[in-house]
Amino acid sequence: MRVQVPAKWDLEYDVVVVGWGSAGTAAAVTAHDQGAKVLILEKMANGGGNTSVCGGNIIIPKGKEFIEYLDTLSFKTTEREIIETFVEYALKNADWIREMGADVQAFRPLEVAYPTMIAGAGFPRVRGAETAVKYNIKGTPEEGKPSQRLWKFLSGLVDKRGIKVLTGTPAKELIPNAEGEVIGVAAEKEGKKIYIKARKAVILTCGGYENDPRMKWDYLPVKPAMFLGTPGNTGDGIRMVQKVGGDLWHMTRLSCLIGFKVPEFEAAFWVAFLSEGFIFTDKYGRRFVNEAGIEIHEYYQELSHFDVEKMEFPRVPLWAIFDEQTRRRGPLSRGTAGYNRDLYSWSLDNTAEIAKGWILQGKTVAELASRISVEPKVLEETLSRFNQNCKAGKDEFGRAREDLRPLEPPFYAIQLWPALINTQGGPRRDKGSRVLDPEGKPIPRLYAAGELGSIWGYLYQGACNIGEALVFGRIAGKNAAAQPPWV
Amino acid sequence: MVKVLDERNFVVDASRERVWRLIGKVIFSSLPGMERMEILDENNFRSLLITRVMGAQVTLKLKGEMMDVEPPDSFSVKLFLEGPGGMFKADQKVSFAMTPIDATKTRVACKAVMEQMGLLPGLLLTSQARSFARSTFEAIEKRLKELA
Repeated sequence: MRVQVPAKWDLEYDVVVVGWGSAGTAAAVTAHDQGAKVLILEKMANGGGNTSVCGGNIIIPKGKEFIEYLDTLSFKTTEREIIETFVEYALKNADWIREMGADVQAFRPLEVAYPTMIAGAGFPRVRGAETAVKYNIKGTPEEGKPSQRLWKFLSGLVDKRGIKVLTGTPAKELIPNAEGEVIGVAAEKEGKKIYIKARKAVILTCGGYENDPRMKWDYLPVKPAMFLGTPGNTGDGIRMVQKVGGDLWHMTRLSCLIGFKVPEFEAAFWVAFLSEGFIFTDKYGRRFVNEAGIEIHEYYQELSHFDVEKMEFPRVPLWAIFDEQTRRRGPLSRGTAGYNRDLYSWSLDNTAEIAKGWILQGKTVAELASRISVEPKVLEETLSRFNQNCKAGKDEFGRAREDLRPLEPPFYAIQLWPALINTQGGPRRDKGSRVLDPEGKPIPRLYAAGELGSIWGYLYQGACNIGEALVFGRIAGKNAAAQPPWV
Repeated sequence: MVKVLDERNFVVDASRERVWRLIGKVIFSSLPGMERMEILDENNFRSLLITRVMGAQVTLKLKGEMMDVEPPDSFSVKLFLEGPGGMFKADQKVSFAMTPIDATKTRVACKAVMEQMGLLPGLLLTSQARSFARSTFEAIEKRLKELA
């Protein structure tokens, strides 16, 4: 049931932005700079959302051929004119950042870890892939991880302008008038409902549904899936839009890595290996994939295999089996990104996590197998075969020679889950960031940007979520500020 | 004072792009004593390096910064080494340049220079540093040729 227009509004602004991450900042700052009086509502105690805990990279393509690349990746799930608009603006992402007082530096990592962070295209064989270039906000490690530098820059733009932010204030419902125009937001502040008039428009930038178990079970192709980013993304924007008749798109899409999960932490830990001495097995101890060849955001493609005889996902959870050299090389969980980054310091040689029982140990394969409840014979065969492949320099799953090293005792295992960086689904929108109804008509005065209904409808190119948030946040902010007031 | 520790040039039977793809992993796998590696922000890392200095096993603190990364042509790693208890400190820069000879062959040039070290440790440890650089470059050459 729709919320009634209140007799009295508690607050009045031109533009109300729901959610304070990259998209919310770009929208709020742009609307403010166009002369609008802007309010940001943020449900968490602090802003930042996934922006402040992600990899911190921003796509800035180096040519219009990027349109072809993204068009292929979208697999016709996103209208070409939306992709064209994205690229037109993304080409200017660096200019916008410089105009706003920061600078960018190219992201050029040495590719030493598994999964591998790559500087350019995730799908290098696709036409136009050479135009994919990632950047981050210029700075040193002493100035923070790339995502911390990004959030410091973005939140500073809001602070500098004196844009009002209400944290700890979740938006609950959109308020439409009799004509279906969205004219305000009902939110909750300290347990009380407040009504905020939006004289021009409402912009939703409140992320996806990584922390909504029911939506994940309904929509995602792999089950269950944990999350790595903010616990604040619980599908609020999706429910609000559905109530005012908005259409949805890209609901089955996700950006998905692998992570380790324990009950004492809400989010999962992003897991990566700093040495080639590891393999993945399904829950029965069988290898199933070239572990070094999975595109970093597309793990679900490998993990979503469903066994119709056993009626289960045999690769969820999966096991990573690794050896002493890999254990000593460095921490399995990266400190550069993820919500747990600032909540837990993973030991550099993984010994603390062995002591906690997070990582299991066996002097022999049989001992490890019994600790992870896998048939010893199966795991012995798996490891023996992998080691033979390493010696032969040829792997049955196509793992490259440089990624092969035989595993030597003692052995270790860690249980891993599909772990979402973010979901991509949400309200369907057009190239002007306007939210559409099921007939393709814009819902008046309602806009959306960022991970809430992102334009990434099939395969995902890394660093495009931040790039897209900045682009469609700016577009939403500009268009919202240009609306004539309804009162 | 900058001191050249070692230089090495060799040809690998692979394209420059393939050498670029391999070299990062090869460098780290050629340093078997490297442990507790912490990636700070993709271009910066910290770790321990367990090595032998004058016959004794020594654990060095190592901080590395990737610099001048120009894929697939060249990059450098600036290394800050610190001995036990801060006994000595050294700054090294290791550079790699990949030049295509043709589509299937690439010349790899490696160079290690000592940029800063105290006088006494410099006298005592330069030969160790030279020998370490030489053996590391040899290992990199061997592994790159195996994988090419």
